[in-house]
Amino acid sequence: MEIFGQLFLNSLQISAAYILFSLGLTLIFGVMKVVNFAHGEFFGLVLLLIAVLVPWLNNPSVPLAVAYGAAGAVSILATMACGWFLYHFAFKKFQRDMVGSFVLSVGLSLLIQGLFLEFFGGVPIKLPDLIEGNLRILGGAITTQRLVLTLIALLVAVTMCWLIAATKLGKSLRAVAEDHEAAMLQGIPYRKTALYGFLIATFLAAIAGALLAPVTVISANVGSDFLIKGFIAIVIGGLGSIPGSIIGSILIAVIESVGGYYFDPSLATLAMFVITMLVLLVRPKGIMGNG
Amino acid sequence: MTNLKKIYVTLALASLASFNTAHAQEIIKLGISAPMSGAAAVWGLGMEWTAKQAAEKINLEGGVTVGGKKYNFAVVAYDNKYTAAEGTKVAQNLINRDKVKFIVGGIGTAPISALQSLSERSGVMIFISAWGKSVKGPQFPLTFTQSNTPFEILDPLYKYVLAQNPKAKTVAILNANDASGKEVELVAQKAWAALGVKVLSSNWYERGTTQFQPVAAKLTEQKPDIIDLGVAPPADAGIVLKELGVLGWKGVKVLPVGTSATQLAQIGGAAANGTYMGYAGDYSSSLATPVQQILNQGMLAQFKEPLNPLQVSSYDSVYALKAAMEASNSIDPKKIAAILPTMVFETSYGKTVFGSKAIYDSPQQMQVPVMITQVQDGKMVELTRIIPEELKARLAAAK
Repeated sequence: MEIFGQLFLNSLQISAAYILFSLGLTLIFGVMKVVNFAHGEFFGLVLLLIAVLVPWLNNPSVPLAVAYGAAGAVSILATMACGWFLYHFAFKKFQRDMVGSFVLSVGLSLLIQGLFLEFFGGVPIKLPDLIEGNLRILGGAITTQRLVLTLIALLVAVTMCWLIAATKLGKSLRAVAEDHEAAMLQGIPYRKTALYGFLIATFLAAIAGALLAPVTVISANVGSDFLIKGFIAIVIGGLGSIPGSIIGSILIAVIESVGGYYFDPSLATLAMFVITMLVLLVRPKGIMGNG
Repeated sequence: MTNLKKIYVTLALASLASFNTAHAQEIIKLGISAPMSGAAAVWGLGMEWTAKQAAEKINLEGGVTVGGKKYNFAVVAYDNKYTAAEGTKVAQNLINRDKVKFIVGGIGTAPISALQSLSERSGVMIFISAWGKSVKGPQFPLTFTQSNTPFEILDPLYKYVLAQNPKAKTVAILNANDASGKEVELVAQKAWAALGVKVLSSNWYERGTTQFQPVAAKLTEQKPDIIDLGVAPPADAGIVLKELGVLGWKGVKVLPVGTSATQLAQIGGAAANGTYMGYAGDYSSSLATPVQQILNQGMLAQFKEPLNPLQVSSYDSVYALKAAMEASNSIDPKKIAAILPTMVFETSYGKTVFGSKAIYDSPQQMQVPVMITQVQDGKMVELTRIIPEELKARLAAAK
């Protein structure tokens, strides 16, 4: 029983990180038909900025939580500005162009990673824990900090689903994702909706970075480490599908956690790729993919 | 400015330019292929820094004299990201583009194997710190290892750990799923078994892993007395130790490739305490030479990390190269490689030699002390320092 509780907790905390990351990826694809390989760099930028700002802000008169909060807010805003800049001067020109956007985003990813290395250096950084202590739930162990961050991440994911399902903006995003020409005929401003979609995706990457800052080791290429898992999740779930990205993220988290325990962590990674291939063979659009 | 002043300035600039050109012709480039980003970044960055310190010192002291001609060293370093693919790119850049004939530092069996496939047939001499046994031997006459590897470290480290923890009877092993991990795992399995410790499980993880909770759960599955973290670099090992702490596991922690306590303690927190390491040394203590103490201070100022044996190894290879160049009176890598195993030369540790023919069928291993350390209260404490028997014998014979 104890081990099942542990595997459940492991799956929960891993899936929360992957869900936040893959939601942004799938949203950009849905709205703009762009596979954004530079998405991990938005995530990385927030982490790296927080890694610089927290030690700078944190001193006897500024508590750690305040330093994290201020650093997180500034870093998210800076990343959003970076996202807006890249959308206007790069991605806007390659919307619905799979090949062009692929080359663009891979190039941008390499360029940004090079800039990160130049400005932030390559040495991994671990920030101090925000919340101390461990908890035992269902016989398994988890740090209090991880549990709080996981719950916040899941709350953000639920809010995102509500935003997509129930708001006017969400309906516009879904309409554009389904058929952008028909959406425009209905009076939905495509370019504005695409910009909002891109900025929401950037925000999701940024919030994922901010939430994971106290628990992850931060380095210049941290974004690309998460990107591979994020892509596996949205390919399995269905490119462009919000529920699909959540299902895909949970699936790979369970494979990583349960497969890693009963077989081998390395074999679990291999299993993810095998399952991706099987899904593509049986259902090329992914589990929740359509069109 | 008067016309006379203009002439003086022009002449000064011209002579400066000709001085630089003359010196540019006498520069020997020294390459480095090491991880400079990611979990093992601090190893590569430190290796580049110590190599530059050695090159600058030698240049300031008049450079290398070969055939009556003076040469200066210049270090060129690239990030191999610890992968074979990047190692291949780095090899192409160093050997084909930069025309480097001497590589004074290399980390990672996979990227170094990629480098070696080009260096040996291009006549390029390499000094590496890769842990694989497969990169050495008579078939690689231009390859030398300038820091200890599992064949030198594991046996004394494990013996020491068992002497301190005589009740420990079982071990679970973790290694990165790459060439370094695969080769070390075989040696580790044999070494533990030879000491009567039962290997409960041998596990693998991919470099670039971000979530280590499943790895920790797997390691503690059979409740081992010892967990051996193999070739995990400090950043990865720190997270594993932290997750082991969350699970409440309180056994003996061994990190053969543990190079310093700083990053391990920063990431692993209190869970890192007690970890035995085989690849670190206290270079601030009186056991270290004055050169090492200065390098250690420089590393702390530059990277906030103390010096480790991996980083200092490129400093030593630059000095070994200088000595062999002057002894052979040549800058031909083949002539230098031929004379190197026969001579005694200066390093940051003092006088040393290349040896270990009994292990590698060829004397390609630099003989340096094995230092066993432990993380205590977040700081590294050197427990013992073992001088290789072969080094003692060779130095005695040389006297």
